[in-house]
Amino acid sequence: MTALRHLILAMVAAVGLMLSASQSFAQQQDVGDQPGLVPDDTVELDPEYRKQLVLYRTTEPPGTIIIQTAERHLYLIQGNGRALRYGIGVGRDGFQWQGQLNITRKAEWPDWTPPPEMIARQPYLPRFMAGGPGNPLGARAMYLGTTVYRIHGTNQPQTIGTAISSGCFRLVNADVIDLYSRVPVGTRVIVRQKPRL
Amino acid sequence: MRTFRSGLLIGLAIAAAIATAAITYERYDTKTLKRTVRRDAVLCGVNTGLPGFSIPDDKGNWSGFDVDFCRAVAAAIFDDPKKVKFVPLDANERFKELQSRKVDILARNSTWSMSRETNYDLYFPAVAYYDGEGFMVRTSRKADSALDLGGTKICVQDGTTTRLNLADYFKDNNLNYEEVKFEKLEDMLKAYDEAKCDVMTSDVSQLYALRLRLTKPNESFILPDVISKEPLAPVVRQRDDDWMMIVKWTLYAMINAEELGVTSKNIDEAMKSKKPDVMRLVGNEGEYGEDLGLTKDWAARIIRHVGNYGEVYDRNIGANSKLKIPRGLNQLWNAGGIMYAPPLR
Repeated sequence: MTALRHLILAMVAAVGLMLSASQSFAQQQDVGDQPGLVPDDTVELDPEYRKQLVLYRTTEPPGTIIIQTAERHLYLIQGNGRALRYGIGVGRDGFQWQGQLNITRKAEWPDWTPPPEMIARQPYLPRFMAGGPGNPLGARAMYLGTTVYRIHGTNQPQTIGTAISSGCFRLVNADVIDLYSRVPVGTRVIVRQKPRL
Repeated sequence: MRTFRSGLLIGLAIAAAIATAAITYERYDTKTLKRTVRRDAVLCGVNTGLPGFSIPDDKGNWSGFDVDFCRAVAAAIFDDPKKVKFVPLDANERFKELQSRKVDILARNSTWSMSRETNYDLYFPAVAYYDGEGFMVRTSRKADSALDLGGTKICVQDGTTTRLNLADYFKDNNLNYEEVKFEKLEDMLKAYDEAKCDVMTSDVSQLYALRLRLTKPNESFILPDVISKEPLAPVVRQRDDDWMMIVKWTLYAMINAEELGVTSKNIDEAMKSKKPDVMRLVGNEGEYGEDLGLTKDWAARIIRHVGNYGEVYDRNIGANSKLKIPRGLNQLWNAGGIMYAPPLR
């Protein structure tokens, strides 16, 4: 009985160690995509990155999405001086873009076909992966214009708040499901980067 | 007789001259920068202890949003943010102490209002933090807006403008509420914690500090609404325009630095920038620092030693602090808030 309890404790500790290691790794440098990894839903987001209603003054109409990459926040404009704010993970250096696009397609538990450029950088990636919990695109995807960029979920919730993606914007699955239910195809998405020196 | 009369006249003239000089000394102070430099330190009036804004540690080291503002002024003048002497001041003595030159700047969460400028001969150069009355509610209530608070019991401190603003706001919006008033802040907090009211109202910055002291802070949140104007600003004496300009543009340099993306971390890179806005800010174009009576790199010194507005905000009261007050109104004008600095050019 005690042996079993020790074994369980040891396993819990090992998993905890792995998690904390991957977390600190994420903050320092590139974490490649980890297809097949089932997300740990117990990862608690920093209060700053939890979904919340905030004061936000803008001339953009309600329903517009504004992404402020330097802040790692996505705002869904509600009108009346407020917005729903979600924490996001953004593109790493060299994968930062800015401008305005529309959501052209929405998909639940999307399949993933990594573009050739991504495969060139991360040769271990699969050529195709069916949608599901281990898929790096997570529970939902919203496709932006005709680009390779999307707003999507993730199987790596610990990467929210970091800049590691290839230009996409990732939310935790619970948040992306919530956002998905609030925005139709045609929604305007404005992406703002930190000013260049 | 004649000698006596002319003697009297001369005496009166001298007395009048002395009186005028004394009044001039009291009312016209144009040497603050000079005295600051001679003293080799900025005298900064601060709150005796307000978490996030100004608070000393066990060793007497001060930190906070207001404290950092004085350090920024010292950095601009001396290239050394440590050349500040902090003078803790009570709320009721603060303006008198500034007036009588016990301090060079008052950075003590003071609300800018007209009577404070006219009655004390003071000047609030620019708003450093937009505070205002807000509401704390329990997450279980599912309120999205102050307009959802009709029919609730609201805890409020008696004898404050907060109480009057509350009454006005609910009346203007045709909402009913039940007022539960308290003489002391502590009693109000206790009552809310014990669920004797549904809502607690105070200035937003204070609500975030009070929230940390609840038994279960995670079960309460602060609504985004701000229903009154409490613009907090540094204060200086009137009629020393040179000093006022230094204080004003120190704050504006920090706000502009954030807007331009210049931080304490990338300041070396910014010094090499070829972007005209950045070049003017860091002193590689124009003579903006010299025109203030300082050096070319005055703003670069501020950013290097203290940081830009956003860095100072996050560190002391924002995302990287205990208080975690969202930027809200204090976000830059082009990112959802109203914080706006005139251009440095």
